[in-house]
Amino acid sequence: MSALASGDFWAFVGVVAGIYTLLALGVQLQFGLTGLLNFGQVAFMAIGAYTMAILVVKEHLSTWLAAPLGVVVAGAAGLLLGLPSARLRADYFAIVTIAFSEIVRYVATNQDSLTGGSQGTIALGKVGVAAQYNGQWERFQARVQAWLHVGSKDVAMLVIVWSVAIVALTLVWLAVRTSWGRALRSIREDEDAAASLGKNVLAHKLQVLVIGSALAGLAGLFYAWQFSFFSPDDFQPLLTFFAWMIVILGGLGRVWAVPVGAAVFGFLFAGTRFLDFSPLSELDSAQRAYLRLIVIGLVIIGLVVFRPQGLLGRRDEMVLE
Amino acid sequence: MSARLEVAGLVRAFGGVRAVDGATFDVQPGSITGLIGPNGAGKSTVFNCVSGFLRAQAGDVLLDGRRIEKLPPHRIARAGLVRTFQTPRTLSRMTVLDNVLVPTTRAREREARVRADELLALVGLDAYGAELAGTLSGGQRKLLDLIRALMAEPRILLLDEPMAGVSPGLRVELLRHILQLRDRDGITLLIVEHDLDFVMAASDRVIVMNNGRVIADGTPADVRSDERVLDAYLGARRAAA
Repeated sequence: MSALASGDFWAFVGVVAGIYTLLALGVQLQFGLTGLLNFGQVAFMAIGAYTMAILVVKEHLSTWLAAPLGVVVAGAAGLLLGLPSARLRADYFAIVTIAFSEIVRYVATNQDSLTGGSQGTIALGKVGVAAQYNGQWERFQARVQAWLHVGSKDVAMLVIVWSVAIVALTLVWLAVRTSWGRALRSIREDEDAAASLGKNVLAHKLQVLVIGSALAGLAGLFYAWQFSFFSPDDFQPLLTFFAWMIVILGGLGRVWAVPVGAAVFGFLFAGTRFLDFSPLSELDSAQRAYLRLIVIGLVIIGLVVFRPQGLLGRRDEMVLE
Repeated sequence: MSARLEVAGLVRAFGGVRAVDGATFDVQPGSITGLIGPNGAGKSTVFNCVSGFLRAQAGDVLLDGRRIEKLPPHRIARAGLVRTFQTPRTLSRMTVLDNVLVPTTRAREREARVRADELLALVGLDAYGAELAGTLSGGQRKLLDLIRALMAEPRILLLDEPMAGVSPGLRVELLRHILQLRDRDGITLLIVEHDLDFVMAASDRVIVMNNGRVIADGTPADVRSDERVLDAYLGARRAAA
């Protein structure tokens, strides 16, 4: 149980919650505000992470150039996905997004020469040499750590990730308070009504797809830096559904519900790791890992039954129907 | 300010059925024009083609002489032709005020809010601005749709059955508002309506459609006495008599 009291452990949980905040903020913008069912959010996280890692290892680009390019490429991928599919009805669009996300993962698994294949980023470089993409980032993180006078890398990362997340949340929050946000919500409510009032439905959908994908790309960068290594298996559809759980937990249609949902989700997910008291200690650790998912599933079910608007949502505005 | 609408040879078929089959008519600037006809005459399809929600298979639609038949709905709305729908398209999970402000662009937010308050007061919805629009009654939703369309600053407004589902008391008020749009704001109106008493009372001109074509076009008095119109509406009964 000592890990429960460890600051490092909770800093790590906080870092993951910050990464999920960025990932889920895109889902909130796309679904909670615009009504777009994107079940492929994790693909853009993968694209952001891989773009950065490939550019650093194979093209020897500076991290500070490769990272923004990762975000840009993820956003561009969102546009590319949206152009042929954003006109589809909501349910068909959802199918396209989940298929897209699996295609990205399969390509990453099989295009060994580009991505290192199933071995992951370690095989990005020359054969027999373990590739590293995070040298510059580690030095930056160490400087932040020294500047903050904190003892652990994870605390430095926590500060960096949440600073970025708060900036992103604030920007999205400010943007959706304007006529643009009103247009998004009008599209969520009734596309034809929005169009009849002069709103370009397709353009707005593409805008939130690009922004949401770029946010996922940003989440991918931090994911890559936090774990120093990743492989296609890190981008399973499960991650997309974690982002959805966070948005549902926090409350649909509310920007600041995202960090709350992410924090609660992170706490539940990490906290349930310590369910090794009797009689649960009869189970082995792998079984307990699945037990966590069951516990989180039960929490979500309970929430939908008793508080369908989430923790911060407005019941009359957005509930799961 | 007022816009002229010209429709020429409009065709739209669904499968083998030509819902609109060469409809041709003009709507004069600053007029109230009624568009009537029996069920299935093609009135709604004309509305959908003119407002860009359906692509016409043939024919021209001109707004002040400019062709609009290939433009998407939002471009047509921005060009000054705005429509409402038969059943109100209330944005239920947004506030009444936000509904009214949807057409507004950022640059005009401040003046739009003033105008929105005026319009809400005009139709007696000013007490509901902060309520979610889903809480409004059917008649109130009709009024909300109307003033929301006005916020898009139409030069010509297409109303699809504005009287349907509106209580008798509210009908009088709605008629007053519609006449005022023409007289005070100079907005051209094209109205599809089944309530013939309303159409005859409000319209400067009446266009009658049947089987996808325009069969009569004139003043309410002309149309009322037109043989073809009587046939279209009362055909079955006249044949039986």
